[in-house]
Amino acid sequence: MNRTLKIIGFVVAMGVITSSLLIGMDVLTSERITRNEQALLQSKVLDAFDIEYNTSNIYDTFVANVEEVNVEIDGQTKPVYRNPETGSISFEIEGGGVWGPIIGVLTLNEDLMTIEKVGILAQQETPGLGGRIVELPYLAKYEGVVFDPSVEILKEGANAPNEVDAITGATSTSSSFQIILNTSYETVVPAYQATLGGE
Amino acid sequence: MRKFWLRLQYTKWFNITKDGLFKENPIVVAVLGICSALAVTNRVENAIAMGLAVTFVVTASSLVVSMVRKVIPSRVRMITYMVIISAFVIMVQMFLEAYFPVIAAALGAYLGLIVTNCIVMGRAEAFAVKNPMKYTFFDGIANSLGYTWILIAVAIVREALAFGTILNFRVMPDTWVNWTVMALAPGGFFVLGLIIWGVREWAQNFEVAAE
Repeated sequence: MNRTLKIIGFVVAMGVITSSLLIGMDVLTSERITRNEQALLQSKVLDAFDIEYNTSNIYDTFVANVEEVNVEIDGQTKPVYRNPETGSISFEIEGGGVWGPIIGVLTLNEDLMTIEKVGILAQQETPGLGGRIVELPYLAKYEGVVFDPSVEILKEGANAPNEVDAITGATSTSSSFQIILNTSYETVVPAYQATLGGE
Repeated sequence: MRKFWLRLQYTKWFNITKDGLFKENPIVVAVLGICSALAVTNRVENAIAMGLAVTFVVTASSLVVSMVRKVIPSRVRMITYMVIISAFVIMVQMFLEAYFPVIAAALGAYLGLIVTNCIVMGRAEAFAVKNPMKYTFFDGIANSLGYTWILIAVAIVREALAFGTILNFRVMPDTWVNWTVMALAPGGFFVLGLIIWGVREWAQNFEVAAE
């Protein structure tokens, strides 16, 4: 009995000490981690808008060159980033991949139909297969593709303006990404147009 | 000088360090922790970051285990190691994500998987739980540096062959054709295997078959 109590006491004490250490560490770092994630998003948007920046002035360049439009979707506000010079817009896209969420940035031309650039912020796809979605040469295939009325990711023979080649050997990642692109487009763009029209 | 050297060879901490780095090197001799040794050694900078992260986790967790070794009930000692190790790994992960996001992204899942690196658990059970803190400190440092130097050695070979660079400095002539397989898992197996063979041959460490 005494020994059991001792073990329980030890386990509880250890749990309390380690979790308070972790909470302390979280308090110390969480602000910086959020800021790093923000900086990654901002750098992708600046990349897509062809605005030059360096690692130390991402935030300032972003604030000076990018307009933020808050769009209401299903009662929630979502920021859409607009380049005042060209009129192209950029917004975060998110959805389920094969192993976890895929989060990215979609940038559209001023006609709000043609893709200027697609960037990936976070993904957990199979390394070497679906994971190749982060590779810049692959993402470059999306430049100039038109939502007419939606984008299609095909296994082979992408010819029409709304078709893109899939990643070889990653059928599920490709079809999930197609869904992510199209649903984000269909929800964000009409809401953005409504917000602009209402102003 | 010679006398000092001779005396040094008979100190306990000198022998602990030597064992960790060479004679009982965790990768070459014990072949522990090779999962991460294969996965992150395609670039030297990743190998250095991984080595430092493991060094911190091994040293810190061994020190804590050694500190509480007299109060750990032996029935729950494995779980105790696991909790201590996990706490330190999560702390390292948060630290890297906050201050070195690029390195954290390059190490990816393998950073969290330090928890399952056998070297950490191995040192806690084999050394820290039986020895005072001062020797545990040397043991932790020596073993994890033994791990780190093998990682860096593998990474130097792989990065030079696969990308023609070392720490992003061009070392190969411009006519060099990148050897892509070296950046992939098979390249890791080849290079690590050759290095283990080389070091064992040099150290005359042979496994003797049981009679």
